[in-house]
Amino acid sequence: MAFTFSDIVEEARLSARALLDYGDHFFHPTIRLGVTGLSRAGKTVFITALIHGLTRGGRFPIFEPFATGRIARARLEPQPDDAVPRFDYENHVRTLIEERRWPNSTVDISELRLVIDYQRQNGADRTLTLDIVDYPGEWLLDLPLLNKSYEQWSAESLALSRESVRARLAAQWHAHLATLSASGREDEQAALAAARLFTEYLRACRDERFAMSLLPPGRFLMPGNLAGSPALTFAPLDVPPDGEAPDSSLWAMMRRRYEAYKDVVVRPFFRDHFSRLDRQIVLVDALAAFNAGPEALHDLESALAGILECFRIGRSTLLSTLFRPRIDRILFAATKADHLHHSSHDRLEAVLRRTVDRAVARAEDTGAEIDVVALAAIRATREAQVQRGRDKLPSILGTPAPGETANGEAFDGTAEVATFPGDLPDDPEELFKGESAFRGLSSASAEKSDFRFLRFRPPQLERDGADEPALPHIRLDRALQFLIGDRLQ
Amino acid sequence: MSERPHHRRPATFKLDDPAVVVMDADDKSRPSRGTVHITPEPDPALLPVPLEAPIVATRRGFRWGALFWTALGGLVLLGLGLSTTRLIEDLFARSEGLGYLGLAFAFAAALALVVVVAREAFGLARLAAIEKMHLRAAAALLSDDRAESRVIVQDLVKLAHQNPQLARARATLQNHADDIIDGADLIRLAERELMTPLDQEARRLVSLAAQRVSIVTAVSPRALIDVLFVFVASLRMIRQLARLYGGRPGALGMVRLMRHVIAHLAITGGMAASDSLVQQVLGHGIAAKLSQRLGEGVLNGLLTARLGLAAIDVTRPLPFTALPRPVLSDLAKDLLRKRDSEE
Repeated sequence: MAFTFSDIVEEARLSARALLDYGDHFFHPTIRLGVTGLSRAGKTVFITALIHGLTRGGRFPIFEPFATGRIARARLEPQPDDAVPRFDYENHVRTLIEERRWPNSTVDISELRLVIDYQRQNGADRTLTLDIVDYPGEWLLDLPLLNKSYEQWSAESLALSRESVRARLAAQWHAHLATLSASGREDEQAALAAARLFTEYLRACRDERFAMSLLPPGRFLMPGNLAGSPALTFAPLDVPPDGEAPDSSLWAMMRRRYEAYKDVVVRPFFRDHFSRLDRQIVLVDALAAFNAGPEALHDLESALAGILECFRIGRSTLLSTLFRPRIDRILFAATKADHLHHSSHDRLEAVLRRTVDRAVARAEDTGAEIDVVALAAIRATREAQVQRGRDKLPSILGTPAPGETANGEAFDGTAEVATFPGDLPDDPEELFKGESAFRGLSSASAEKSDFRFLRFRPPQLERDGADEPALPHIRLDRALQFLIGDRLQ
Repeated sequence: MSERPHHRRPATFKLDDPAVVVMDADDKSRPSRGTVHITPEPDPALLPVPLEAPIVATRRGFRWGALFWTALGGLVLLGLGLSTTRLIEDLFARSEGLGYLGLAFAFAAALALVVVVAREAFGLARLAAIEKMHLRAAAALLSDDRAESRVIVQDLVKLAHQNPQLARARATLQNHADDIIDGADLIRLAERELMTPLDQEARRLVSLAAQRVSIVTAVSPRALIDVLFVFVASLRMIRQLARLYGGRPGALGMVRLMRHVIAHLAITGGMAASDSLVQQVLGHGIAAKLSQRLGEGVLNGLLTARLGLAAIDVTRPLPFTALPRPVLSDLAKDLLRKRDSEE
């Protein structure tokens, strides 16, 4: 990547910011923990459970400072960034515990500050400030755009949309694209129609039956206050990757808007939030990909590879802390591990490890630590053995969310079921053997698919006097130990 | 799926379906035909997690004591150097031949001192490494961290490299190192492979020392000899155990080790006194009735065995998880059996 003037200015701004942060953190040790994941991966639930566990006291035997009692208390404080929405923790807890509903999904960045009072192992009293930054994983997929020209991006997006499952979903947009001439005069209505059809195609890909992950640009699906603005009104055109756009052509207009998108949306996000993170957890909903089929799994793999490309990883040194902060620990977490019997957790971890293998190798060279864990921030199920004839099925018990179906029957949200979701293979490679590796909802009917992971309602919890009950979880403590345990020594 | 016959299809059962029966885990009755039986399992998250308190409290903060001893040692060394120089100067003043002889002795002494200090330092570092490995292994067992346990096992293999009896065990372990996925399992495997022969040998050493102590106490004419012998035998036993598990303690190392063993004994001793020891002493009170000396001998032997067990805990590079921790009653049996066969 060649350094242009704007890159250098951008780097200078990042360094200035880092220097400012360093001065502040010197007196108040602070960790900025980024929590991200693609839609429906469980970011909101993860943060809610983490804060609830730390402030109200959860069962965290493996999170050493908590288990040994060195953490005196943790409390919420006003966050430092005034322009960022606050993570609506109280409402999410209420939704989870009282209404037994999963909170609404993240559509924007949000932040919360947690202050932990603890005693060091040598007895000194300290506080650690944990800034939790929650942002949609789709935004991460935008970061690679910073290094791509409009023509490159167009070519890649088109190639992707012509792959098997996607081609069906993109048919309408392809038809409209064929009527457009890239070097014709710029035409607002054509651009609007193209952007609308392109967005519809992206939205269709995200449907539960297909569960595609690699869908940049992220803001097309979550426009927020930019909806309808020119920065979001563009679409790929069928143009040569190294061509030059004629003046005032449709191509030039699209290219301008693509650059505007990078300036207005991607760069500020990178500068204000992403580049300042110290630790990162990426939540991955691998189970949705198993439900949908091999294409979704393949797509998830590419999306994760794309995400990893953008992290500035490496061991933090004094110099790097001053001028170019780096992420020195990344945790990839396969969420919703409670949808599987615990004997399959290792296999789920193996699948996730397989998808981030390349990234782990790269990170080890730079000295950063990367780990993989299968977790459930809030455990919605119990485990059971089901005996059917001579078969013993390791299953889970829970209450499916209203509207979920199995055996052609819809659930009303009160009936309890035992479900066996299907065997994950011993060797994760078997799932990646091309398009016929296993059957999912995208290519087969619900009765024929190899995996079926139902969505369950949050667990029924007994209130213990006036206090809110502790939320059950799976390996949330291990994730915490990895992410912040070393800073609480 | 034709190529994967093991794959079981997903299935869902409603609990209020008449064909579904929910059973308790301890219900052993045969399920009737044609129904589906669901047995809820105990929640693994609710099971207690065993936490082992660290055997030796890790040292933190500035070590003023160490600074004091270092500074004092430095002063003494300087004083010695000064007086030696004076002595050699005097010798030269008297006769040149005497002077050179003195110089040669001084160099030999200095050289030997350097080697001794280096050996001590090496021994101390090695002991510290073993203690640290114990803590790291305990942490890895808890966190189930694959990368960390892999590093620990590699270090352990390096440590065990000097023991030729373990060549086969080391090879087996390295063959397995790539298969095992789970971090805690890797440590357990390493313990089973590498520690089994060492544990047997350690047990033999401890019971040997205990027997020796009990016999000498029973026949010795004076209490002072008892005390001296017990002390020497304990030192010998601890040194042998440390060597067995890979340590190379010198004099300073022994002091450090002795301190840790006694500290560990203080932590675990109360517990032992309340169960096994009292039971042993009372149970074999007959021996004391027969002869007071015999009773004292058995008691001293048991105390030595107790010390040996504490020393095993401190010198062993891995905590006991896969293998059973040797208990006093095993050693007591050895002790009494030997006594019986001798009499």
